[in-house]
Parts: sequence; structure tokens; C-alpha cells
Amino acid sequence: MITLIGGEMPEYAEQRPPAGGPLYRRLIDRLPTGIRVLIAGPHSGALVRAVADRREVTLLLRSRPDAERVDVRDVRVLCGTLSKLADTDRYDAVIALDGTGRLHSPEGPPLDWVESVRVLKRALRPGGTLLLAVENELGVHRLVDPGTPTAARAGDAWSPLGEFGSAPGRPDRLAAALGAEGLPVAALAAVWPLPEHPALLATPETLRYGPLDALAALASAAAAPAYRERSVLSDPRRLAAAAVRRGLGAELAPAWLAVAQLATRPGQAVPLPPALIAGPGGAVTELVKSPDGTWSRRAVQGPGELTGPLPSGRLLEERLLTAALGHDLPGLRRLLTGWMTELPNVPAGNVLVDGDRYARLDPSAPDRADALARFAHTLATGGYHHPWPGVTDVARLTDVLAGAAGLTTAPTPAPTAGDELPDIRRRHEEQLDAVRRRLADAEDRVRFYEVELGKREAELGRAKVQIAAFSGSLGYRAAKAGLGIARAARNRIRNRGRK
Amino acid sequence: MHHGNHYYGHAQVLAGYCGLDPDDPPRIEGYLQHGWNVLDGLGGGTPYAPGSPIFVWSERTRRRAWSMGRPLATVTGAPFLYLLRSESDRADEGEREGTIWYPFHGWEGQQVSGDHLRLIDEITATEAGPVTFCLYWNEYRDDRIRAAYEHAGRVVCHGYRGYMRRQTDARFLHKQLAELRRHRRVASNRLSTAILYGAVAGCAPAVYGDPMHLAGEDTPTAERIRREWPELHGTGPDPDRARAVALAELGDGHLASPAELRAILGWPS
Repeated sequence: MITLIGGEMPEYAEQRPPAGGPLYRRLIDRLPTGIRVLIAGPHSGALVRAVADRREVTLLLRSRPDAERVDVRDVRVLCGTLSKLADTDRYDAVIALDGTGRLHSPEGPPLDWVESVRVLKRALRPGGTLLLAVENELGVHRLVDPGTPTAARAGDAWSPLGEFGSAPGRPDRLAAALGAEGLPVAALAAVWPLPEHPALLATPETLRYGPLDALAALASAAAAPAYRERSVLSDPRRLAAAAVRRGLGAELAPAWLAVAQLATRPGQAVPLPPALIAGPGGAVTELVKSPDGTWSRRAVQGPGELTGPLPSGRLLEERLLTAALGHDLPGLRRLLTGWMTELPNVPAGNVLVDGDRYARLDPSAPDRADALARFAHTLATGGYHHPWPGVTDVARLTDVLAGAAGLTTAPTPAPTAGDELPDIRRRHEEQLDAVRRRLADAEDRVRFYEVELGKREAELGRAKVQIAAFSGSLGYRAAKAGLGIARAARNRIRNRGRK
Repeated sequence: MHHGNHYYGHAQVLAGYCGLDPDDPPRIEGYLQHGWNVLDGLGGGTPYAPGSPIFVWSERTRRRAWSMGRPLATVTGAPFLYLLRSESDRADEGEREGTIWYPFHGWEGQQVSGDHLRLIDEITATEAGPVTFCLYWNEYRDDRIRAAYEHAGRVVCHGYRGYMRRQTDARFLHKQLAELRRHRRVASNRLSTAILYGAVAGCAPAVYGDPMHLAGEDTPTAERIRREWPELHGTGPDPDRARAVALAELGDGHLASPAELRAILGWPS
């Protein structure tokens, strides 16, 4: 049943994917049952269905075509712009995991972020819970985006404010802003790697004081599938990992999720663990800190093998790249040898290394026989200096790495081209530069060889004359001698003339 | 590639290390550093085919090559270290005695000028034990110079380093290593490749005496070498410190495995 509340968009259908994914689903499952919930903005069908399970759900959508496509039973659909939301309806929970940006239509007044939050707040019953996502306009997803948000041409970009918008720009400011609106924040998490589909949710405390190396590896692993073959400025995996490892994981996250309550009440409606991680196949694990300070993983959904201590150390791929960039050949050989001895079929992006210990980051990820060749591909084409700059061919670089790993024969099936790699613009620039350099070198080399060839030809010519002189016929030698005498006579005459 | 890859039998030593025929080393795709120098590894005047890799002995040299506009350098370590590694089982054979002394030498393109007799006097006054003079082929073939040294001690020559891949003494480094292992000390009037080889082959190194001059030589470079590597200069520098410096200059710790080296040099596996 659709209720047109005013300001709806009759023709427009949302062009970007709605908020969804197993981690948001996990949070929804923690909501009490039997409550009234408002879902504001586009959310995936699976998420809406999960909320609607034993709860009374109202959905607010601005797009009429999208509203008509809602196929979840017993869900009331309000179609229109946020400002038209009646303030007589009150809900136990308001879910706005898509943020506030897509709650407005061209027909309504252009509400800014705080005004939007106020409307959502008015929809809450006292003690009600607000689940609100806020996109970080300076998040890693923006930093790697080749597009310009302030010049977007999308159908809903009628006022593309981008980083000029009024939404808070830091997680602590988000908490303060919601608190100032009477919505004290009970829990906060940074969202990686994309605002609409998190694969890693981690609290700012965890991203400051937690197992940063492992979290960096998790952020990088989360970014890999999210950006597969997508066009980006620079590699989001490296940027995500570097941000988290350097303690900026909360500040540079693509979005933040706030769990706020209209007036506090005992207990949290939706508790957040230190970190929630989505794995392949819908598996969900959470990080748990034991009283002795060690960290472990607990499978909350999916295979139980994910439960266990969190391996310590840094991502092998990053350690390898660090050694390559630093031209630390002994260190690089040590890492390659340890890797090929302990986990030869596990890609470097799924291995944590701590001293001599090599452990799988995600035990459920499949083995790959071409793990070494894949790393060679990254090293050769990812825009990294390495100790073998003269080797530009991936297959040969794989052989070099195999040798450096102590392998006498290289078990190196060719890597699948482009597999799992985002399409990185900076790399295009670098590759273009490299091609220009190699072309210039090749042209110089041709000139160099021409000069060398000239010298050799001159030497050969002299040698041929000598050979002919010593091995030729008597007549030739006589003629040659005559020529020599004639040349000497000519020179004498010339010299005399000069005197 | 450049015939300098075959100087002193370097290509041959590496081919043997890689399990290939040492008498017929395959073509190396790049330039091997053939002697210790304080430039980009190639040394002044080496004709360089632009864009070709160079294989340098130490990380320090690689960094310097980069700064000199030669970015395609890979550290492989000195071929002498590869030889030392494969001949390590013979390291402690026989007694060591006296000093092997390498007077600073010239080559096809530059002759050395200096007073050999005065140098010999200084050497005999400094060295306690018997002295073996090792002359480079350039000086060894000069009867006058050779006779001067023969008056003061035993004179040897490790062989001809070769030119345009002809007359290369492929056993040059083997002979040099064998001689070094017969002596307690290695000395020269200039810090040079032989001193580094001697230091890593178990000799106590020393650099003293009239440094002499190469025709057209860049003197500031010679002064810089004295300043930058004081650990190896003097009549009796600390052998342990000197050895550590020599090992670093020759690229110890950076040697590639045979499989890696084959792939680096573009050789068949």
C-alpha cells in the first residue's frame, strides 16, 4: 500500500544502489521485535524484509517507481519528500542507513543535514532509536573517486554540495552534533569500504587502540572486492590499509554509522561490537577483546572455523611492497621464502606475517596456485619501485621472485589478467610515462647501436683489406703494392706543393 | 652486451654459479659492474646502451646510480663473492704468510705515473714479512717496472682481464683468490677492488704509500675515497671493521640464488 505524502518523484528511480549488506542486516537483527520502525530512504529488499520480520514497518521513499516496486508484505510505503513526513506518526526506531541525502525531492525545501535530522528526530518516540549513516565527504571512497561530486550529472544532483555540505566531517563531531539535537549517541562505527555496503564496521576506539595491523589488512581485504574493475584515481586497498594502520581509520572511513537515542534509557537497543567483518559468502565475524588484551574473532554467521584468535602481524602484501620500495633485498627474500614455505597457495593479500609466523587472515578464502604470480603482477603493474627495474615482463619477474623465494623451479601459472584489481588512473599515468621512457631509451639505443655498428664496419673493412692483401692472388698483391707506391708518390708531391 | 661483462671472467664465474657452462656464458641482458668504483657502477667512459639494466655490487652503488640518472640498476653483489661462496670449503687450506701488495695500476686507456722505486722502499720498510707484488698486466708487461719489483720480492700477475671478449683469462678471479689466501695482509697505495677482495678473503687490509696518478685523473675523486672510507686506509687499520666495510661494498647479503640470478641476467633456467 502506497501513501503519497507529497513531493514524490513520479518518474525518477534511484540510480545508485540502496544501503544493504550482511553487516547492516546483522545490526537490524539486534532490534527488538514487536516495535514500530520507520525505514527512511532506499534500503535493499533483504534489509527491509529483515526489519519487517515481526515488526511493524513503514518505508519512506521519494521515488514513486521504487515505491511501486516494493514487494515486502505488510509494509506501509510512504512516497514523498522528507519535509512532508507527518509529525503525528511516532516510531520506536528510525533507520536511515542510506543517510539523509536521498530523502529529499526537487519539490520539497532543500533541508540541510541538521534540519533533516530534526525531522527524523520528530518521528521518534521518547526513548526511540535512530540508526543513521553519514557519508564522509573526505572518506577514502571520495579520495579515490575519479569523478567530481560537485559537478555530478546524476538525476538527483540538483544541488551537488559534496564537501561543501553541512554534515559533520569527523566521527566525534557527528556524536556532538547528534547530542546537541537531543539524540545522544550510544554507539558509533566507521564504515568501510563503501557507505552503502559496509564489509567492515569498527568503532573509533578500536580503530585507535585496537589491532591496527590486522584491521588495516581487513580494510584492504574489504576494499578489494568492492572496487573490482572499478575506475579509481589510486588504489583504494592501499589507501584504506594505510589510513587504518596510521590510526586514521575512523577519520578517513567512507561513512559513519551512529546509533542514537531520543533520551537515554538503560541498555543499548543496538549494541556494536569493537568490529564487525563481512566475509565472502555472507559470513559475519566480530572482534572480541579478552580481558588479557588479546583479540579474537567470533563467527556470528557462517562457518565456525572463523572463530579463533586474531592472527597478529602485518599484511604480507604490504610487507613485501615495503621491502621492495626500500630495496631491502635480504628482507624481501626472507619474506618470499617464508611465504612460499608456509603458505605458498595463499595470496599475499590474505596472509598476516609476524616475525617468522605466517597466518591466513581469512581462513575461508580459497587457495590460489598462482599466488606468487599474482604478487608479481601487482609489483610489475601497480606503480611500485622494486629491486629489478630492468625486468618489465611479468612472467620473468615471477621467475625472479620464485628464485628469490628459494624455489629452484617456478610453479607459476600465469595470473588472471586484471583479476581483483581496480582500474587505477594513476597507474595509467605511470604506465604512459614508462612507455615514453622506454621508447626514448629504445630510440637512443638504436642511435647507440648505429654508432657501434659503424665502428665495427670500419674495423671489418680494414680487416678485409688486410685479409685480401695477405691471401689474395699475386696480381692483386702487385696491384695493391702499385697502388701503395702511387699513393705515396701522390702524398710526396702534395707535401712538396705545401712547402 | 658490453664486453666488460667478461672482464676477469666475471660472466664465466656467474655462469658456473648458475649451473651453466662456465666456458660459454650466455649473453647478459645488461652491464655487470666490473670493478669497485665511486660512480654508477659502470665506471667513467663505459659506452652505455640507453635503457639497459646495470648489475651493481652494492645497495650504496645502486642509490648513487639512481642519483646519477641511471635508474635501471639491480644489486647482484660482486662476482668475486659468488666465487668466494662456492670456494668456501678451501678457505682454511694452507698457511698464510706475508703481504700481497697491489701497486695502483693503469689500463689500455690510462697509464699510471709515479716513482715505483720510492714506493718499493716504503713498502719494504713497512711490511714485516715477505712481500708478493701483484702487478696488473699493464705493468707486468713493462720489463722496466717489473724488474724494479722483482728486486724487492716475488712478482705475480693474475692474468689478462680480456678485451672485446678475447684473451680473457677466465681463471683470473680463481688465481687471485688463491693468492690472497696465501697471504696474511693485502695492501695497495689506493683503495681498490683488490683490497676489498683481500679483506673479504681473510687478509688484513692496508692502504698507504704514494698514491701515484693516472693520466688525466680526477683528483677530487681520489681524495673523496680517502675521506669516505677511512676504515680501510693506513698501514694497519682495524681488520674487523675493514672487513665489514669491504663486505658491504661488495654487496654481501645481497647475493642472489642461482635461480634468481639466471632470471635477473636473462639466462635460461
